[in-house]
Amino acid sequence: MRRDLRGALLLLLTAAVQSSSMSAPGKPVLLSCRSPEKETFTCWWEPGSDGGLPTTHHLYYERERLEGTYECPDYLSAGRNSCFFDKNHTSIWVDYYLTVMASNALGNATSDPFKMDVMEIVKPDAPENVTLRVEEREASPCLHVRWMPPSNTDTKSGWVTIKYELRVKKDNSNNWKEYTSGTQTHFSLYSVSPGGVYTVQVRCLLDHGEWSEWSNTTFVKISNYLQNERPLSMLISILSAILFIMAGLILIAKRKSVKQWVLPPVPGPKIRGINSQLLQSGGSDDVGNVLIIKQSFPPIYFVWEDQMEDYLIVTENEDWLSSNSQKRKKSLIPACFHFDSEIHSKESPCHKNDWEKDEEISQVDNNNKPFTNTGYVDFQRHVENVDVKHVDYSRVKEVKSDNILFLEKEKVQSSGYIHFQRQEGIPEDYSRVKEVESDNLVVLQKQNAADLSCKDEGNHYTDCALHKPRKPHVCTELSDSGYVDTIPAPPLM
Amino acid sequence: MALKKTDSSKLLMAVCSSVPISDLLDRASQGSDKLHALSTIISQDLNSHFPPIGQVIMPRPSMCHTSSLQTPSDKQQTLQVSESDLLSLARSLLQAWSDPLLMGPAAQTISLLPFSGGNDIGQDRISQLINFNFLLSCFRRDSHKIDSFLKVLRCRATKAQPQMC
Repeated sequence: MRRDLRGALLLLLTAAVQSSSMSAPGKPVLLSCRSPEKETFTCWWEPGSDGGLPTTHHLYYERERLEGTYECPDYLSAGRNSCFFDKNHTSIWVDYYLTVMASNALGNATSDPFKMDVMEIVKPDAPENVTLRVEEREASPCLHVRWMPPSNTDTKSGWVTIKYELRVKKDNSNNWKEYTSGTQTHFSLYSVSPGGVYTVQVRCLLDHGEWSEWSNTTFVKISNYLQNERPLSMLISILSAILFIMAGLILIAKRKSVKQWVLPPVPGPKIRGINSQLLQSGGSDDVGNVLIIKQSFPPIYFVWEDQMEDYLIVTENEDWLSSNSQKRKKSLIPACFHFDSEIHSKESPCHKNDWEKDEEISQVDNNNKPFTNTGYVDFQRHVENVDVKHVDYSRVKEVKSDNILFLEKEKVQSSGYIHFQRQEGIPEDYSRVKEVESDNLVVLQKQNAADLSCKDEGNHYTDCALHKPRKPHVCTELSDSGYVDTIPAPPLM
Repeated sequence: MALKKTDSSKLLMAVCSSVPISDLLDRASQGSDKLHALSTIISQDLNSHFPPIGQVIMPRPSMCHTSSLQTPSDKQQTLQVSESDLLSLARSLLQAWSDPLLMGPAAQTISLLPFSGGNDIGQDRISQLINFNFLLSCFRRDSHKIDSFLKVLRCRATKAQPQMC
């Protein structure tokens, strides 16, 4: 009896001791849920203390648009403390309210409700089958990466849209370089150098959910093939060096022509009629010939034919200066001309000689005589530009005696006029008009017979004061239709 | 004259080729993708301001104003819907969100939104936030629906190009 009582008391004591560590289970906590492909999902919880007793957990859920409370369909597929919802039990765009209840012999404990929508918990698996392929190109190698989408995703119907990302690391460094691949399942890397070990990882994203984990690392070693290429590059560099040297030698050999081509000579100023070479090399005689127009007739003639020059009258007579304008524009009129035809000064052969004559005269006579001492410095002028309009001509109708001219009443324009020789050393062939009686009668001053070195024989005109003999064809005859230059300016007297 | 007109209009029709459906759907799904991305970012940002426990037990004032629209709720159902129905669903959803403040029974709760210009007394502010959060979650869901429907349609329209799916 006492032994029974002691045994009972001991049992009661042990029971009492034991029962102090036993309790109802602690409150479990729902951790997270995840859907890898938008078709199924799994939820995990963490159990609280089990209270020392075997505790069971149950997951219950309610769903939007679905009446009633349901229990988890699958506790096993996803491992411990998890609940797997298969395709039949998964709906999207509806809210799930989940609770986990832990129960043991002593009681229950219910977790807080967990609200979720499948749309919000999408996180795919990592991409599979990542392969690397090295393409060895001449300049630099490149790396081609290929992979497959996670096997449980449906890529055929358009239900999911997967985007990819990859990262690359060289050798053992910790610097990953990330690249975005979009929806392509391949990618090419060009910034790889030979002689290194490259590690590549890929991950993916479904719709706008969470990124997956990185795939398993894949390694590839790019061989250092550059050594093989060295002889070729050396050969190329040697050849190009030889070419450069040859080009340089050719340039040096032809440096003069190169210099001419690169820096063409600048043309210097040219003075017409002056040959700079001649100036440099020739004697003073030649220089004088060039500057003084004494002998070089042909050139000047040609010059005269081309250019247009104004005449500048140089005179020492102040009276004449004051009464006349300094400049008179006259054309160079040949002493000889054809009366019965139009004067074509250019075509007339007389031109040449007359020009000669005038020049000579201007050179020879330097005596100072009033009015008569007019030397002309003739600037060439185009014959057509002669102010013929300003000069009115009157045609000589009749020459009565040796000093009376009858002019025709009509005025005739002409570009020619006669030069009369004067015996007083006057270089120009002018007759002084003594008197103008009517509008068609001109009385010329009689010349001094003593000084007359040439005489006016009626209608003939003879050339007197020339030093050089004149050529016969140069002289022509003055016919009745002679011209007298009547200058509307102040009278010649 | 009338004859000539029809000739020219026929000619116009012959000259202007229609845009292929696949291109249109591709463009539309790019837009819906952007829309869903934005709604996700905004609602996540707003949720981050709430304590984690508050997110879970947040009451839903009412159903979304587009709940009346019968939409498929899983992949199988979605793939069984015809193309025209999918397209009309997407269009209806978009129309519902063109001016959400006028639509449905949620209009009463939305009157407490922050920008209504009402008084900001503490309690009101929280309810305003709750309502706004609710509106955003509805928008996020609907934008995801639109995006999914258009992408399914795009995939169906481009049988020859599997990379579009």
